[in-house]
Amino acid sequence: MSLPSGTLVLSRVVGDPGDALATALDRGLTGYAVLEPQDALLLDGTGEGRLTFEDGVPVAAGHTGTGRRGADALADLAVPGPYRVELRSVSAGALEAYHREADRRVAADAPADLLAGDAALADRTRAAAPTSRRDETADAGSMDAVEAFLDDEEKIDAIRERAREEARERAEQWGFDETLE
Amino acid sequence: MVEAFAVASGKGGTGKTTTTVALGMALAEEYDVTVVDADTGMANLLFHTGLTDADATLHDLLIAGSARSVEDAVYERFGMRVVPCGTSLEAFEAADPDRLRAVVAELAADADVILLDSPAALGSKSAVLPVVLADRVAVVVEPTIPALSDGLKVQEYAASYGTDTAGVVFNKVRDPEAASDVAEKAERYFDGPTLATVPDSDAARAARRAGAPLLAHAPDSDAARAYQAAAGTLDVRAGESDAVADRFRSAVAPDSP
Repeated sequence: MSLPSGTLVLSRVVGDPGDALATALDRGLTGYAVLEPQDALLLDGTGEGRLTFEDGVPVAAGHTGTGRRGADALADLAVPGPYRVELRSVSAGALEAYHREADRRVAADAPADLLAGDAALADRTRAAAPTSRRDETADAGSMDAVEAFLDDEEKIDAIRERAREEARERAEQWGFDETLE
Repeated sequence: MVEAFAVASGKGGTGKTTTTVALGMALAEEYDVTVVDADTGMANLLFHTGLTDADATLHDLLIAGSARSVEDAVYERFGMRVVPCGTSLEAFEAADPDRLRAVVAELAADADVILLDSPAALGSKSAVLPVVLADRVAVVVEPTIPALSDGLKVQEYAASYGTDTAGVVFNKVRDPEAASDVAEKAERYFDGPTLATVPDSDAARAARRAGAPLLAHAPDSDAARAYQAAAGTLDVRAGESDAVADRFRSAVAPDSP
């Protein structure tokens, strides 16, 4: 299901997806974020993540590459940054159909927890959520997502290999060459 | 006779300084321990050890031409020697990170264990230097995907620069049972054991507000006991070398021009 293009309110590369979540929250965004990790090596296939918001609070998520939805889509997106992020504003009505698909829905604090690992932002998001959603919490499901992440040996190996490459590149830059193992 | 550990995380907010001080106090029961705030851009060891009014700090030792001696910036607190860092941006900008090597070399003469509270970043030479200087790194993570992913990055950087992994501390754990499954799975990827699973604790926050280490403020809390156990799991290899200072002086960081 496609989302309307709406009005672009922000487009930038961020090191931490928490920045985009905090911006959406602070602006009370009704619309969605398009999140695209920049390191192709770490992507689960191609594609990007979509995360919708109502009044700054996350509602639903999907990943166009893996086709997964909800918390699974967030887990697919949880890789080291940077990310290219777009925030788009749309009318609440334009999100209704997307939100009706229950398997897309995520706990209000799940993106802050899973993508940013930021407990303070998760608390702030829960506090901003409508009363009916305040009891939702990512805690119960988030450990499952963390375990799923750790079961993905290919992704973890890619993260480790990428870090070793970075360390080697920067060693030259910083004059650590002689220490390289 | 010293082993230097970098306490590092790659991601901010994981409780690195709380961990550094707690491990330091627990290890001080058996060893001569020196803790150093090597996070020279976002220092906060001083707030955890009641040293907010410290006259001389690590910043003074890293500024060229400073008249301060290393001893001036060493404070005996809670059974450890503590080297805090100041919070002035001006001093941070004036500091030469390469001088850390010589400071650690001098501190090594009086210590069995040196703990370097390291910056939560890998993007600059000054942030990575403590990991490069250390013999081993203790990685502090919360049981979240971003923190684990950043913790693995720290380990790979450290390994690339010849620094082994001493172990992993899982901190701020809200669901110990689930986190223990996570720790078990994570052990496949980390080159050291799980040192502790430390519960999320109001006691740690209260200790920080009181300007005291967790192990002094709430020694009987579950979190404090977890850190005690972590120190017991850490197999300190206070080496046999007689030339410890030389080892650090000849360590990897190049001489400043």
